[in-house]
Amino acid sequence: MWRSPLGLRRLAILVAAVVLLGAAGACARRDSATPPSNDLLIVGYDREPDTLNRFSTHILEDIQTCIVEGLTTTDEQMRVVPLLATEVPTVQNGGVRLRSDGGMDVSWKLRPGVRWHDGRPFTSADIKFTVDAINGPSYNPESTDGFDRISSVETPDALTAVVHYKEIYAPYDIQFIRGTLPKHVLEGRDIDRARDYNRSPLGTGPYRVADWKAGEYILLERVPHYWRGDNYPRIRRLMFKFIANTNTRINQLKSGEVHVVALVPWDKKRELAGLPSIVVHRTPGNAYEHVTLNERQFPPFADVRVRTALILALDRELFTKTILDGLAPVAHGSVQPVSWAYTDRITRYPFDPSRARALLNEAGWHVGPNGIRQREGRPLAFTLITQAGYAIRENIAQAIERQLRDVGVDVRVALHDGTALSAIWFEGRFDAMLHWWQMPSDPELTTFFAADRTPPAGRNINYYKDDALTALLYAADRTVDRAQRTELLHRAQAMISDAVPEIPLYSVTRLDAVPASLQHFKGNPTNTGIFWNVHEWEIK
Amino acid sequence: MLGFLARRLLQAVPLLLLISGLVFLLIHAAPGGPLAIYLSNPNVRPEDIERLRRALGLDRPLWQQYWSWLVAFAHGDWGYSFSDGRPVAIRIVERIPATLELVGVSIVTALALTVPTGVLAAVRRGGWFDRITTTGAIAGISLPAFWFGLVLQIVFAIGLHWLPSSGRTTPGWAGGSGGLADHAQHLLLPVTVLAVVQAAGWSRYLRGSMIETLAQPFVLAARARGIPGRDVILRHALRHAIGPVLAVVMVDAALLASGAVVTESVFAWPGLGSLFTEALARRDYSVLMALLMLTSTAIVLFNIVADAAHALVDPRVVEP
Repeated sequence: MWRSPLGLRRLAILVAAVVLLGAAGACARRDSATPPSNDLLIVGYDREPDTLNRFSTHILEDIQTCIVEGLTTTDEQMRVVPLLATEVPTVQNGGVRLRSDGGMDVSWKLRPGVRWHDGRPFTSADIKFTVDAINGPSYNPESTDGFDRISSVETPDALTAVVHYKEIYAPYDIQFIRGTLPKHVLEGRDIDRARDYNRSPLGTGPYRVADWKAGEYILLERVPHYWRGDNYPRIRRLMFKFIANTNTRINQLKSGEVHVVALVPWDKKRELAGLPSIVVHRTPGNAYEHVTLNERQFPPFADVRVRTALILALDRELFTKTILDGLAPVAHGSVQPVSWAYTDRITRYPFDPSRARALLNEAGWHVGPNGIRQREGRPLAFTLITQAGYAIRENIAQAIERQLRDVGVDVRVALHDGTALSAIWFEGRFDAMLHWWQMPSDPELTTFFAADRTPPAGRNINYYKDDALTALLYAADRTVDRAQRTELLHRAQAMISDAVPEIPLYSVTRLDAVPASLQHFKGNPTNTGIFWNVHEWEIK
Repeated sequence: MLGFLARRLLQAVPLLLLISGLVFLLIHAAPGGPLAIYLSNPNVRPEDIERLRRALGLDRPLWQQYWSWLVAFAHGDWGYSFSDGRPVAIRIVERIPATLELVGVSIVTALALTVPTGVLAAVRRGGWFDRITTTGAIAGISLPAFWFGLVLQIVFAIGLHWLPSSGRTTPGWAGGSGGLADHAQHLLLPVTVLAVVQAAGWSRYLRGSMIETLAQPFVLAARARGIPGRDVILRHALRHAIGPVLAVVMVDAALLASGAVVTESVFAWPGLGSLFTEALARRDYSVLMALLMLTSTAIVLFNIVADAAHALVDPRVVEP
């Protein structure tokens, strides 16, 4: 008797079994959507970390923040506050001493009684070890920025570390914001390959890694004797589920399978508005969306009249009201209101297309027969590149294309994936680019605007050159006194706003979705991320 | 038969070599490399990028990079991931069970849908069943997997709360996942997407193949000998018609086995497909090369297996 080649009957039985199992399971449904509790809070996370070693990673450090603590951190208003240090060293409190040879010494006083998760005390030797490892030849951290300006670290006692800088380094207060490496675990080892540490770092923070399931999740559990006292942290376990697809992440939030989603895209805000169990928290951000104008690639941008005309031709208020749903305010410069260096004493540009047209005429760009301006037979036409698959950017790019067309400027929009985009701007092979910079919490503008900081030396991809501005920015970098530095940075911002080397569009607002029952959530505008005060979080 | 297999396997070696060279060139031709992601961090300076480039061996000429990859790969050393520094083999092996589970159940389900649908549609050609399944198949083929997946999530997870929206298990409750029933619940939606899309295509092939077969003289002869209609269709016609369809199934299975890229991403399924998406976004060359070579090898091997199976059924295939 010949049987069907596929064993039809067996197939049918298998399928029926799967369906029945599913159905049985569905009837017994109980826990995919367990509400958030002090036993377990689930975070929908957009990616799996590469490593949990904070000095080796290049992506946001939310998970690491729960495990490894820095000497300082930044709070919800972007102020630098002490964490494992007893205070932030300053010139005023004697913690910072400027040397006559142009260098400086920073004395860090460590909080007594802090222990690593294995019970060993946290001491100044760990700070010295961290600096030596990062500056040493055998370890490849992501960045040596700042560390390379340290000549040595002295440890007069277990709770004091004196860091000697070769030159004045203004952002010294966030030098150890990412934490320190435990000397007793990593000394003499190949840190790049120290898989035990890189997958489950030893820290001093409220949580440690309990489980890391590749492609699925990282589960953190509270440590038994956190230095802030046995009352902290309040939540026993934190789970970071990796859900790369944004729609899926938001769906899990809606179905209750995850409780927290950081950095909710603005076009998803309305979808979440009707959910009583969710609160969407807004934090003014430290990033700003803007159009970079590459003078080297497209020489007409070198004319300040052209650049000014472009900014006047854009109705940025309209963008924020419509495309951004009123969630982000118009930005007028590269330093955002959340920063201590912010000033509003800068030139602001209204929407004024007739002035834009007049400026373009004055610059010699006259409307040709096809409606596009030209000069000496060459059209005022350029390509605007931006990231593909990012709905808001694609919409803004189209609006820019349309509004500039109204004043006779021809814009062609080209979309690239994020990785390709990074390579393109690094090589300076573009006319204009719509993107944002996540600014460091220290308002170091040098890398973005100093004349000698074009790639590869920096991120001046406008290829803007202004020697007076460059001198001013470097002077600000070498000033530790906050009042003096503020004054210098205010002057720099005013100069930048007059010259319009780029077109600021809007200030990026962070949206974080958290359970309505979550207490003490504060948010954070910087890369430190929302988990900086996770020890206080509590479900009520 | 053995000679046939040996010949086909020998032919596969230069083919795979050629594929490896092309794939290597292609992924290096895409703009941006494993270090591009660092550029958006203003604290990573050009010196850092240069230092990391040297550390990863990306400063060497392309042919040297290819040659050292090839030699190592041939010796079974797949290298280290550019993004997390772990051995590529480990990163791949830990994702295999999830993909096999999803793809295995999907293929079985798809076949279970394909055979009765294809046969019945061919036998009752032009009837109501044929028309409905034809429309359904066109819909199934045209449905973008990501869209279909999201719709299923919205209906069954958010609307009805019957099923979990995504993921492979419900982790974290009382220290573990919920066992077999929990697994099955998580499988239902992604399997539906994959099975419907595959079955839509396969059932069309089977229908076509059956219609052709049913018109052949041997079917008529079987009927003339008085064999009952049901046996004619299932024992004689189906056996003949399913051969070419199996070849298609084999190639699709090979493609799926290396990861159902879109479905895995939409359902946050921790398999090879989501690993591929992740590696592509980060230009993790070593992981990409290994995954693409696995896919290529699987397709070449499944083709050989399909040919061998065909040869078993029809000895004429073995003759050159």
